[in-house]
Amino acid sequence: MGGFPDSLLQVYNTLVPQPPASEFAVLTDKLLSFSRPDGGLPYYRGNSSSAEPTLLAALALFAVGAPEASSKPPLSFLRSLQNLDGSICVDAGKRDQGLWLTAPAAIAFHRLGLKDNLKNALDFILSVRSLTALNDPRLKQDNTLTGWPWVRGTFGWVEPTAWSVIALSLGGLGEHARTLEGRKLLLDRQIPSGGWNYGNPSLYDKELLPFWDTTGLALVALKDNSGAASLDRSLDLLDESQDKIESLRGLAWAVLGLQCHGRDTTKLRKRLLTVMKSMPEPEIDTANFSLGLIALSGKKVFAA
Amino acid sequence: MKRREFFKDASLLAAAAAYGDVVGKPPVPSCPVTLLAMPDYGRDLSREIAAVMTADGLVLKGKKVLLKPNFVEAHPARPINTNIAVIAGVAHACLRLGAAEVVVGEASGHRRDPWFSVLNPSLRAILDKKVRCVDLNHGDAVAVANRGRRTGLPTFYVARPVVEADVLISLPKMKTHHWMGVTLSLKNLFGALPGIYYGWPKNLLHLKGIDNSILDLAGSVPVHYAIVDGVVGMEGDGPIMGTAKPVGALVLSPFALAADATAARLMGFDPGMVSYLARAGRFMPGLGAGQIVLRGENPKRFATRFACPNIFKAMQGGPFF
Repeated sequence: MGGFPDSLLQVYNTLVPQPPASEFAVLTDKLLSFSRPDGGLPYYRGNSSSAEPTLLAALALFAVGAPEASSKPPLSFLRSLQNLDGSICVDAGKRDQGLWLTAPAAIAFHRLGLKDNLKNALDFILSVRSLTALNDPRLKQDNTLTGWPWVRGTFGWVEPTAWSVIALSLGGLGEHARTLEGRKLLLDRQIPSGGWNYGNPSLYDKELLPFWDTTGLALVALKDNSGAASLDRSLDLLDESQDKIESLRGLAWAVLGLQCHGRDTTKLRKRLLTVMKSMPEPEIDTANFSLGLIALSGKKVFAA
Repeated sequence: MKRREFFKDASLLAAAAAYGDVVGKPPVPSCPVTLLAMPDYGRDLSREIAAVMTADGLVLKGKKVLLKPNFVEAHPARPINTNIAVIAGVAHACLRLGAAEVVVGEASGHRRDPWFSVLNPSLRAILDKKVRCVDLNHGDAVAVANRGRRTGLPTFYVARPVVEADVLISLPKMKTHHWMGVTLSLKNLFGALPGIYYGWPKNLLHLKGIDNSILDLAGSVPVHYAIVDGVVGMEGDGPIMGTAKPVGALVLSPFALAADATAARLMGFDPGMVSYLARAGRFMPGLGAGQIVLRGENPKRFATRFACPNIFKAMQGGPFF
């Protein structure tokens, strides 16, 4: 069985050495060892299959060029989690929970060619609006901007908004008014000295701490804003903080965020590979492990 | 069944259960609260903690215990989280008392990355190998009926390890909170709810009213024991942006509200003026000083006044001891 068509596998920078194929194979096998009989993957071993680790595993298999058949069970599980309104749920037992998962699932549907599922997911994403509010002088941010929430009926936050912007952009809706407003929200929530917290840039005049994962994710979502001076602050922050980033999730998102803006990630990728190879099994979160594989692959999974 | 067996073992907790069940004039149980001196995090108090738990009637032999610390964010200069030395001390005390399984679990409120929470190498390094650390943000959850209905939420999706534990021990940090006044063991229950259901932050609970959410959770997810890390608390703009406030004490009780009320008094807050604590006092024992039997160190040794945002200064009073 062959891998995914080469035309689908665009690489960021072919000059960056990839890990040897044998290492990819070992890591991929490790990921697949978490697969459950229903085709899905759990976050941690011993749990039930769940949407996010399953969809990220499907994307990781796509990224590393695994045989196309290997992604069929996770995709089948993921499709079973799509509701009639196009939304994706956390798991089959809680169909009304986890609407934020629709956006990353749409990316998997897009990459793996499931057009009907993608269309339904994109329609749902466009139907969801975060709450807005009057501006509050204690928060130096524009609360009137609409983004995407984690949970229906709540405010917009960096991660669900970034996922939605990426999904809509990949789905050909990069210039849709909602996508543009989502990007505006992300730029508005950027910490003045660089990076993103989970949502607010500051509180009572004090800047909040940047998180590596939300910073990397927001940078991916803002790829089309590349070159904006304000983004350089966040890119520089990630660049300068490389030695401080230690976790699998942080390293994966730092690589993904930097490489989609053309920054050098050689050092980070080496450390990411080391972390993935040495991670004790009980601590492997397959969602983060998949992100690591995607980052190491150098493939443009989240960017057009 | 396991919960029932646990309550049967603990006579004091049985009194608490009765308190909630009787309509009319409920008996007011005496709620023991113990203050242990812990001047810094370099001490191993597992032996002392085990002794207090035993004196409080906590039976752990053969039980599955879940320790729920408070990890919100990680900042190098701010005491935001329950200190790992306290977590280790309590975990090892539980092992001393014969717990079959001790799990440290948290669904961190702001950070998805468990490396900044219970999967941080610094915590694992000081824990006995028999203690497991579990990221509650990412994993199975159980729909638990909301017994309070103040939020209008029919159910809470509670992390499975919390539901399956025989004994839940809440291990909060002693902190001010810029919306609620103080945050202690009851507010700490937010971290029993996985982020994959509620997001980062758990904005739904904020919009339903933080106090309502705390109370609904308190009525739906039983806390069997509370230990407040007041060795170094946080004053000012807590729970994230405040500054260190050394108090030098651990506050232990089988009654979460009694632990919280006592901790609040040590911080200079009148718990009857803290809205959610006062409301909790309507269905949980331990709010009034008259319901509390203080043991251990003299509270005057630790009593202080935490700086807080102006809007909460009216909640402060005392001296309480």
